Amino acid sequence: MNSTAQDEITEYVERVRAALADLPEATRAELLEDLPEHLAEIRAEDTVTLTDRLGTPEAYAAELRATAAGFVGGFPDPPKRNGFQPFLDARADVVRVLGHADVKVGPLIGYPRASEFLSLLRPAWWVLRGYLGAMAIAYLFDDSGNQPGLLPRVGGSTLVALLLLGLCVVASILVGQRRLATGGWRRYALNIGTVFLVLFAIGGFFSADSDVRDPGYSDAGYSGGGNPYDYITDVFVYDSQGRLVPGARLFDQDGAPIQMGNAYCTDPNTGESWHTRNMGYPYCPEAAPFGSPAPTPTDPADAAESAVPVPDDGPSAEAGVEPVPTATSPSLAPPKPTTAPTTAPAR
Amino acid sequence: MDTTQLLKGVLDLAVLAALRDEDGYGYDILRRLRAAGLEDVGDASVYGTLRRLFAGGFLNSYVVPSDEGPHRKYYGLNAAGRAELQRSGKVWHGFASTMDDLLRERETA
Repeated sequence: MNSTAQDEITEYVERVRAALADLPEATRAELLEDLPEHLAEIRAEDTVTLTDRLGTPEAYAAELRATAAGFVGGFPDPPKRNGFQPFLDARADVVRVLGHADVKVGPLIGYPRASEFLSLLRPAWWVLRGYLGAMAIAYLFDDSGNQPGLLPRVGGSTLVALLLLGLCVVASILVGQRRLATGGWRRYALNIGTVFLVLFAIGGFFSADSDVRDPGYSDAGYSGGGNPYDYITDVFVYDSQGRLVPGARLFDQDGAPIQMGNAYCTDPNTGESWHTRNMGYPYCPEAAPFGSPAPTPTDPADAAESAVPVPDDGPSAEAGVEPVPTATSPSLAPPKPTTAPTTAPAR
Repeated sequence: MDTTQLLKGVLDLAVLAALRDEDGYGYDILRRLRAAGLEDVGDASVYGTLRRLFAGGFLNSYVVPSDEGPHRKYYGLNAAGRAELQRSGKVWHGFASTMDDLLRERETA
């Protein structure tokens, strides 16, 4: 006799007591007086659980009720009517209907009683409960704003998710085996928690179901689904020197232009907004997030100096003995910064 | 015909009879009844009947400590129980022979 069996007996007796709630108090007390000891005798006979050996507490109570009907010692008091009676009657009806369904449905699936099959599923429920618990915890404590997916991710970490999942499943199994948190208020807490989890699971199920059926718009734009390209309004291209490249064009692998952002600029001070005149990125150069360490390429002289010897200066320079560079290589001239350095895609 | 329906009427008598020769505890009595052929009898029926007969003053009871496992509550017939067993036994025999006769008449007719 260990505490697990003791708890099992206690719970079984409580459920029998609940199922007999409509009997007169004296009769019920008489019937239940020795039940814990009696069940302990039975439990000690072998290792099978009470429910496996005796059926559900409700079925046991029903049988007990039948034997109580003709009590020789006489428990003649008619059941007292009180305010709870309608509820107790209703509950007794529900229990009776369930018991009936139990026996009727069982043979359809090859078991004497449906409840016997359901009690076989108990460990599966423990695992599911652990998963739901982990999901609920992740849902409550994850404030990263990302979609959690089907694992209990906290802060988007799959590792944390797996650890949390393992922990919750083990805890749930231990609770299921009554090694943790049974008896008294803890059982009520457990029951309330279970109701919460079931509601949470139903909500999560329908949410996941609708997400799968309608994944929504997840291109760069307004999906709100954690896409990193959401909320991009402009693009700033910097060259290897850290200089802002004006009028940049973006193309994908097929040569199709990449269009993102919107072509309106807003003055942060006045709130005035206007359509950009720039053909490439950035639409609004004055809103560049990083200042350029080098002078901006809008200054022609600086840009030219940092490049190759300046062919433009050739003709006017005294040292310009050879006019060749200007004549022969106009195409090699560095792009004039005032004109947009467009880059044609190599097709 | 459902034997569980028949059993309901004679459960008291069956339990009294199971205790005639030897005292026993609940599960023990269930085993005796099943061994005797009442396979359909349930534990709750035996337990409830024992409680009822005890409350009616037909049984005495005492607890026997057990080395392995829980203490066991034994039940035995007292004088009133033996008298009831005898009386009910007669009623049953009368009833059973009436039924036998009835069935025999139908079968030979």
